[in-house]
Formats: sequence, C-alpha cells, structure tokens
Amino acid sequence: MTAVAQAPAPAPQSSGKDRRNKARPRTPAEWVMLILAILGALAIVFPMLLLLLNAFKSPQDYANSGPLDLPQALSFEGITTFWETQNFPRALWNSIFISTMVAIIAVVVSVLNSFAIGIGRVRGRTWIVLVFLMANLVPQEMLFDPLFRLYDDLGLLSNPWSVILTFVVIQSAFGTYLLSSLLGTFPKEILEAASVDGATRWRTLRSVIVPIVRPTLSVLMVFFFIWTWNEFLLPLAFLNTSDSLTVPLLLEQLNGERQTDTTTLIAGTLISIIPTIIFFLIFQRTLTRGITAGAVK
Amino acid sequence: MKYRITAATAVLAAGALSLSACSSSDDGGTGGSSAGAGDGDYSGETLTVMHYEGDESAMGIAWNKAIEIFEEETGATVDLQTTAFEDLNASAQQLFDSSDAPDVSEYNKGNGTAGQLAATGVILPLDDAYETYGWADKLSAGIDTIAKYDENGVMGSGSWYGVPNYGEFVFLYYNQDMFDEYGIDVPTDEASLEAAMEAFEAEGVTPLTTSAQEYPMGQLWYQLALSQADRSWVDAYQLYTEEVDWTGPEVTYASSTLEDWVGAGYISGDASGMTAEDAGLQFINGEAPMFYSGSWWYGRMLSDITDFEMGITNWPGTTLTPGSGGNIWVVPVESKQPELAEIFIDVTMRPEVQALLGESGGLPVAADTADITDADAQALIELFNEVNDRDGLSFYPDWPTPTFYGDLNSVMQGIVNGDVSADEANTQLMDYYESYVADLR
Repeated sequence: MTAVAQAPAPAPQSSGKDRRNKARPRTPAEWVMLILAILGALAIVFPMLLLLLNAFKSPQDYANSGPLDLPQALSFEGITTFWETQNFPRALWNSIFISTMVAIIAVVVSVLNSFAIGIGRVRGRTWIVLVFLMANLVPQEMLFDPLFRLYDDLGLLSNPWSVILTFVVIQSAFGTYLLSSLLGTFPKEILEAASVDGATRWRTLRSVIVPIVRPTLSVLMVFFFIWTWNEFLLPLAFLNTSDSLTVPLLLEQLNGERQTDTTTLIAGTLISIIPTIIFFLIFQRTLTRGITAGAVK
Repeated sequence: MKYRITAATAVLAAGALSLSACSSSDDGGTGGSSAGAGDGDYSGETLTVMHYEGDESAMGIAWNKAIEIFEEETGATVDLQTTAFEDLNASAQQLFDSSDAPDVSEYNKGNGTAGQLAATGVILPLDDAYETYGWADKLSAGIDTIAKYDENGVMGSGSWYGVPNYGEFVFLYYNQDMFDEYGIDVPTDEASLEAAMEAFEAEGVTPLTTSAQEYPMGQLWYQLALSQADRSWVDAYQLYTEEVDWTGPEVTYASSTLEDWVGAGYISGDASGMTAEDAGLQFINGEAPMFYSGSWWYGRMLSDITDFEMGITNWPGTTLTPGSGGNIWVVPVESKQPELAEIFIDVTMRPEVQALLGESGGLPVAADTADITDADAQALIELFNEVNDRDGLSFYPDWPTPTFYGDLNSVMQGIVNGDVSADEANTQLMDYYESYVADLR
C-alpha cells in the first residue's frame, strides 16, 4: 500500500529517474530495498491468498488437506452456505449506513469544534482538547454497560443510531484534536483578508477555511469510515437482532462454541472484503492526496 | 407491554393445560375442541427465541422442528434470532435485562455462566414450570445438576433455572485402520491402553493427539484423575462439598501419568501449541490413531473422515467420565412471553423432537431409544447410556472457578514443555483452585 501511495507523488521527476536507472545498475542498497518491498508485498498478499485457496474447498477437502494445498475440486459450498444462512446484503447496508453517517457527522462536528478551539482560541483550549482526547482514551469495555443501559432507556437498542451516536462522539473527539492543532497554525493573513472583505465568521469558515483544509477533511472522513466499519465490541453490545448486524458481527456469527464451520467462515470473509477493496479503489486518490496535503502543511 | 403480560397470565392456566393435554395424545385433532380455545389466545403473539447452534447441527435441526410444532399448536409466531456463543457470552448479563431481551434463550450451563445469571436475578426461576410440565422426571441424575443453581450460583441445588435438551460427554475416538495396519488391539483396559500406545510409539507413530492450548488435554487430565476417583471426589471438586486433596491419589495419578506419557513420546511436544481444531484435524487426516474428545466432534468426524474407519469407545478402566447436560434453555427476566416460553421449552422436550435430535447426531435427554434408527446415532447413544447407567457424568475440569480453564491449560502446557514436574503442576493447580474456591466452601 505504501508503494502505491508514494508512486504518484514524485510524478514530475519520474521520467528523469527512469533514465538514471537505465544509465547505471542498481546499487546493492537499492536491491535490498527492492527485495524488502517484495517481501512486504508478499506478506500482505499472503492472507488473501489463503482466503482464495480455501474459500473454494469443500469441508471434507479442507479437513483432509493443508491450508496451502490447492482445492481438489472447485466447491462453492462455503459461499452458498454463507449466502443462504446469513443476510449479507442487509449487514452490508447496515455497515455502509452506519459508517457513512458517522464519517459525515463526525467530520462536521470536528470542524465546528476545532473552529472554536483552533481559530477562536478560546480560553483553556489545551485542557478542552485533552478532555476531548479522553473520549478516545477510555477503554470501550468501560462504556459497554452504561451506554447499554442508556440506549435501553432511550429505546435505541438494535437501532443503528445507537452505534452512530456513540462513534460520532468517539471519532469526532480525535478529529477535534487533530483539526484544532492544524487550525491553530492557520495563516492569520488569510483570516484577516477575509474579515477585511467583510466576511462573517460563518462565511469565513464555510468559504475560506473549509476549502483550504478540505484534503485533510476527506482523509479524516475516509479514516472515520474505515475505523467505524471495523468496530466490534460496542456494536456487539448494542445490535442484537439479526437484521441489525454489521459485517464484522455477521462474520462472528459463524464461530461456533466448540466447532467452527471453517470453509463457510473463510468464504464469508472473502465476500466481506470485496466491498472494502471497492471502497479503497474509489478513495485511493483521496487518501494519497490527503496525506501529501497534510505533509506540506 | 404490561397489558400483554396481564392478558397472557389470565389465559396461562387454560393454555398450559390444553397444551399438555395435546402433547400426551399424539393426534392433535381429537383435542381440537378444548385446545382450540387455548390456541386462539396466542395467535398474533410473537415469541422471540434465541440460540447459537448451527442450522445443520443436531440441535439446530431439532429446534427448527420444535418451532414448527409450536407455531402450529399455539398459533403464535416464532421470531428466531441466531447468535454466536461468544456474542451472547459477552452480552447476556446486560441483554437479558433489557428491552432487547429474547423471550427464551439457549445459554451456557455452569457456575460461571448460567449460575452467575441466576445469582444476579437476570434469568427467571422455573420451579413452577418444572412442576406443571414434569420436566424433572425426564432428566436423569447427572444431567439435571446443571439445571439447578443456588443463591450463590453454584449448580446442583436450589431452584430450577434452565432446561437441558441434550447431553454431551467425552470419549475416545480411534482409527480402526491404523490399529489393523500395525496389528494392535483396541484398548479395553488401562494396561492394554498403555500397551497400544507403546506399540504405536515403537512404530514411530504418536499414539494420542491432543491440544494443551485448548480444552482437550485438560479434559484428558481430568479423565485420568476420575479413573482413580469416586463420586465424593467429584462432589468435592465441582460442588465444593469438602476440600479437594491436591496431593491425593487422583490428582497425583493424573499429572504424573501425563508427565510419563509426554516423556515416553505418547503425547507429542507439539501439543502445547496446538488448538483443539489442530488436534482434531490430525486425527481426521489419519496422522494419529487416537483422539480423546467430546461428542460435539461426532457429526463432524462422520462427515469429514473419508479414508478410514472410525471407532468410538469409552475411556478404558473408569466409572466416571467428563460430561454433563448440554446448554440450557433459560427465560430472561425481561421476557415478554414467559408462559409461551415455557410452552416452547416443553415442545423441545417432546419425544418426537428429542428423537430427531438423536437421529441427527445429538444426545437427547428425553428420547425413546427405540425411535432412533440411524446406526451411527445409535452407537453414540449406546456409549452415552453406558456412562449414564454407571452414573458416570462428572462435568468438566474447568467449571469450579471462572478462570480455571486458562489456568489448567497453562499448567498442561508446562507439563508438555517439561517446564513443570507433576508435583509442581499439582501445587500450581491447587493455588489457582483454592484462590477462588476457599471462600465458597
């Protein structure tokens, strides 16, 4: 992933680099780096390879062969069992809905918070940021019981909004922390220019600050989306009915008390990473652009 | 919700009576006129049932049938929520006391799990239901221990809190083809077991596959102790009736035998890093002739073993065997339909449902063995009956304390690695055990 991410950045120089590479052989250091990069890539691809190899085995085939053996015959048993016994489209929708809502709302909340703290420079901002950060530092096990009772009283159990509310708070706490320090170093000249032009605070935020930090905001949004997507413990507590489950919870359903239908679990895992890959392909540009934009700042 | 409970309570007596009448006479048609009134009262009602058994497992199959019968007879609809064991284990304490609580749920038996819920009042006592439906008569001694919990959540006495539908126990799986290949007889007593293991070892085959990282080796240790023990030792160990002698013949025999077996190469040094799944796969792959584990493997073994003939036998030379009633049906305190829940539980105890459970590879607790025709199922039930006939069910080694599962596994790993001697193992186990149990005795 790092290799992909870095490739577009030095684009203008790449033609020159190519010529240089042709002109002289690679130094030993470059060879070592190349081999390390290949090994790294292999290590990342290896689990995917295992999934691909084993998702198409029948349970008997899986039991009688090693995990690295090729399937004896192509079997779609695991995939069909997963598809028939679990409501994957529903879980996928739940995951997308929850993660998207959290990503959008948490970014909006972060921007508003950090506008006050970073630009507005309210009194005691360091402490405020610290308090915000606490939300991220508190172990989720501690939130488990009180939040469960809260949502029980509010009638929000097995409702996606219980998870959305919780993670908007947790993610925007981090977002506030990050954006506050970013906006704390925001060039004063730009703000002064805006106020000379007669912009209100709201106008300054909307038309001046947000467009400038937009790359960072898109990165935050993507990260919030991914983090929320992978959340397990609190969704496990709040979402109890089978049609409210998210994708990670759905996969957990396949684990038995003492026995696990491994081929179905593998097939399910394979199916469930497809949306993640699609998501990555769509937002890959945003991720790389955001990282470099943040670096230049 | 209150109005529903009141309404339902009003028809409880009538409903329950007509249904039990229905179950005793197999032809539901004749009871039609009297049962009709009871049926009508539940139509439109919904019963939320939660369990964590696979759809294809014996329990899953039998319970699907129970749901069918239940819906037909009461007119109520069942909302089936399947979950995962680990999920419910993590959240039951909160879930059962919330608006999301199922009306009836499967739950893990034992002091640390169902006992805990009973002690904190999260599940309802079922004493009245036991009386109404006569469940106690269907459960044999040894099975019913896990259905009763006292005010401290210790099983074996107190109120009824759950209903087990099935049993489970631990026995020896063996590879008949490998025994034939090396001309070794299947062991029938302790001496022949040692002889068989020695013979396999001489041929370069590790005779017994097990896992010290998960439950199998701990259960083997417990079985070895049980082979030297009587019922009063089990009561002391599991029910805290008196102090366990950690230097006595039972524990000493278990730990030193395992130490010897590891030293002699009967148990591979790899066992410390293997999971139960790894050990099971080694047996299924035909790499090891013997595997000591539970009835929960049986269906899997039957379907996954393709290239040799598998046999099962009880551990040689013992009257006591690890095993117990299976997981239990419990009624959460926030159940909106407690009386329907009881009717549902009763349906799962019916002979036809129980027979289907046995036919599908499970161990029914209230089935007529004559109803079961499948030869593989019969073989398993026969073995189980043999244990029950000698009143052998002795529960599991990790039940006495909430952390003993991990404690026992770490000591077993020490024995396999040669880090601890048998004596040191016993001392460590005693410390772990007494640190929790000493206060309860």
